[in-house]
Amino acid sequence: MGLLTPLFLVALAGLAVPVIIHMIQREKKNVVEFPSLMFLRRIPYQSVRRRHIRNWPLLLLRLAALALIVAAFARPFLRTASITAAASGGAKEVVILIDRSYSIGYGDRWARAVALARDRVSELGASDRASIVFFDSGAEVALRSASDKGRLTSAISAGKVSAAATKFGPALKLAGSILSESALTNREVLLISDFQRAGWLGAEGVRLPDGAAMIPASVATDQVSNVSVAPAVLLRSTFNDRERITVTSGAINRSTSPASVDLTLEVDGRAIQTRTLKLEAGGSGSASFDPFSPASRFTRGTVRAGDDRLARDNAYHFVVSPRDRVKVVIAGGARESSLYMARALALGETPSFDVVQQGADADPTGASVVILNDLAVSPAAAERLATFVENGGGLFLALGPRASWPGASDILPAQLGQPIDRTRGTAGRLGVLEYGHSIFESFRAPRSGDFSSARVYTYRAVTPHTDAQVLARFDDGAPALLERRTGRGKVILWTTALDVGWNDLALKPVFLPFIHRVAANLASYTERPSSMTVGDVLPASSPAFAEATAGKADDVVVLSPAGERVPMADRSGGVVELREQGFYEVRSGERDPAPLTVASNVDLKESDMTPVDPQEVTAGATGKAGGSAASGANATYTNEERERTQRVWWYLLFAGMLLLAAETVLSNKLGKVRV
Amino acid sequence: MISTTSIPGARFVDPKVLARIGNLELVARSVVDGFINGLHRTSVFGASVDFAEHRGYVAGDDIRRVDWRLYARTDRYYIKEYEADSNANFSVLIDVSKSMGFGSRGVSKLDYAKMLAACLTYLVHRQRDRVGLIAFDSDIVDHVPPSAKHMETVLHVLDRLKPSRPGNLKAPLHKMAEHFGRRGLLVVISDLYEEPDAILEAISPLRFRGSEVIVFHVLDEAELEFNFDEASSFEDLESGEQIPVVPEGLREEYRRMIQAHVAAIAERCSGGRIDYRMLNTSAPLDHALFSYLSMREKLMKAR
Repeated sequence: MGLLTPLFLVALAGLAVPVIIHMIQREKKNVVEFPSLMFLRRIPYQSVRRRHIRNWPLLLLRLAALALIVAAFARPFLRTASITAAASGGAKEVVILIDRSYSIGYGDRWARAVALARDRVSELGASDRASIVFFDSGAEVALRSASDKGRLTSAISAGKVSAAATKFGPALKLAGSILSESALTNREVLLISDFQRAGWLGAEGVRLPDGAAMIPASVATDQVSNVSVAPAVLLRSTFNDRERITVTSGAINRSTSPASVDLTLEVDGRAIQTRTLKLEAGGSGSASFDPFSPASRFTRGTVRAGDDRLARDNAYHFVVSPRDRVKVVIAGGARESSLYMARALALGETPSFDVVQQGADADPTGASVVILNDLAVSPAAAERLATFVENGGGLFLALGPRASWPGASDILPAQLGQPIDRTRGTAGRLGVLEYGHSIFESFRAPRSGDFSSARVYTYRAVTPHTDAQVLARFDDGAPALLERRTGRGKVILWTTALDVGWNDLALKPVFLPFIHRVAANLASYTERPSSMTVGDVLPASSPAFAEATAGKADDVVVLSPAGERVPMADRSGGVVELREQGFYEVRSGERDPAPLTVASNVDLKESDMTPVDPQEVTAGATGKAGGSAASGANATYTNEERERTQRVWWYLLFAGMLLLAAETVLSNKLGKVRV
Repeated sequence: MISTTSIPGARFVDPKVLARIGNLELVARSVVDGFINGLHRTSVFGASVDFAEHRGYVAGDDIRRVDWRLYARTDRYYIKEYEADSNANFSVLIDVSKSMGFGSRGVSKLDYAKMLAACLTYLVHRQRDRVGLIAFDSDIVDHVPPSAKHMETVLHVLDRLKPSRPGNLKAPLHKMAEHFGRRGLLVVISDLYEEPDAILEAISPLRFRGSEVIVFHVLDEAELEFNFDEASSFEDLESGEQIPVVPEGLREEYRRMIQAHVAAIAERCSGGRIDYRMLNTSAPLDHALFSYLSMREKLMKAR
């Protein structure tokens, strides 16, 4: 038995108060006026039996009530564990949070974490319930609120170390949710983790329910030795018309002693080069490998370093493909009038454009983008182009004095009107740009391109279609650039010329990036990342995904690095979450020869195993500075913890109140009888 | 019966009491000095039907009073004299000390005393006696000299009497004793919270001029029975002194003491030829007064 606030026992001196009241003060309570005390004065004082206590039960009742209340304020608790469990008011709801981030795979940390969880399960009482939650960057309930120790132990055994990083926030929120839904009043969270600092960003809005105890159990070790591979940088170059990739990568030494690391580059599973790095303690180094040419799309590359006890961060995977080239067909007008555009497109790197100039008969075959430069389109050509757009092609129309479009094919963003002459007076300028659109997004920042410097002398009046979006307007409000989506493709209409006849935009610096953005937008080009991180998602609606599965949406199969099928929801809204480290494949049908391949790497923040103080996490989660801490298997209760879980004070206070109520009833019944 | 409602003190004249004692008389046992014919014997001869004696004629006597039959037998002039019946001075000496304000059942001792005084005054006024009133505590508070016309005045004064100061018998009664020149009937109404000897010492001078003194000792039932329950602080109404008291523990002793006190006063008064009557305010006044007056009448007849 212990007391949390023993100083309150001083108040036991207050027990003398009712005695004093009974023996001294009670008679003075009522004053009776009497004609004369002539006779009363003659009666000896001692004969008045007011010092006698006549109603011992009533007095003892009052004293006992006061003593119980004082004892309740002293907050007593029982020290022994068994008594603790018995006195804690019966059943307990326990949430066991087990860290399964990849850093816990270091050494025997995972084994110790599992052992801790099992020990806690074995300590559960018959009426206690426990939930098993595995967490990394997310949290997953393995078994919710069960009392069967066999099932709980099985759930713990089924846990595996994941490839994700640590985040305490989601796990603690889930634990709080489980506890708050529980009908049991005794609640406990056992947090088993290696407590990496990178996983704790402060309280994160986490707050366990009031009265819930949190017991952190750390499996971290003081000395760690770990080398991780830094992300690789891919540099493209062209040599003899062949594209070459130069890989630059490095290694980070997170141990306290220097290390010598062999950095190996593997391409399609074969080690092709090795570099040796001398790393200082806590230092890092980098090395560039000789360039190689990717043999095909989705060539897999891996940089490996060392073979320390934390294996997952010893490899960095990436996917590299030959650069994609966008075929652009320029049709119509004199070659000179398309000069500026053709030159601009020839300079493209990301993406590179293959420009083909054609005559008036625009043939979109094999092209991603067709540019009609001041061309009077025949109905047959218009029909072809409409089909081209419906199938996902991009059509760009620049309007000059000759440009026309047959009315039968309604795919343009606007109906074409007459030219408007701005050669007299002030020349027209581009006034309003839709910076939220991908074409102008890169010009949003200050000094990122001044479209207003270009002067426009003549442009065609147009009447926008209801489906069209006006992306740019002239200073008089007339549309300058319009976009309309048709089928899977889109059409963009430029209401003035692309040469210097009607405007001088081609002479301005913004012309080249503008044309590039327009062409890339029409071709739906997005740069494909060489790798992603575990925890990222690959949306089924992404262009890469769409490209890989085009036309065979129903047969899409996603294979994890381990070769397992990854389930995904319906294709339109489904996503593939990258849970493992390695290469994911998105196959269109079982025999796709060139499946979309995505490299997935672990989050390198996790490889920094600097621990955070478990008390910091506890304080953040419970809102109290002092929390219970457990180290390894020696998880013990503090006095505050015992007192809080036992709540003996509550029973004492309740008993005291009951006695006071009984005293009231008894004294009322006794009426005029005095103690 | 006073029927007017304009006299505030008339409320003390209880019809119920008067109906009970209306056929009784309060007659002085001793001779009194009066001016008109009344119920009381007087010290002088006067015109009445009761023959007293003969005396020799002296010049100036009314010749109508000469007993001519006796002159025929004796050949001397004798004057026939008769006993005179007179009216008396009746004064109520009422104690208005603070202790008289006590009342455990709604009616205070002073109210009871006022009622007693009013009824007696009305009774003797109807006998054509002169009525007066003196209120006192530690000094004389109010004074209505005896007069046949002072009935209403007495009632007015009774009405406005209030207990306000501590009481003392000796000083005011001695002062009054010097004041009463004419023999009459004096009624003292008080709670007599003094030692019996001191009480007798205070009252006795009233008799020195030949007046008859009746003492009504008015006590509340609580004073007699001490039937308090709660242990309390008892405060002296006059001195303000407080003492803690557990009534249960001293009730019997108190009762014994108060009974001894009453008995001692009765004994002293009896020895001093003073009529003494203890009245309990819980008893109806008509009963108490009737028993006293009827007993007094019987004694008068026996005498």
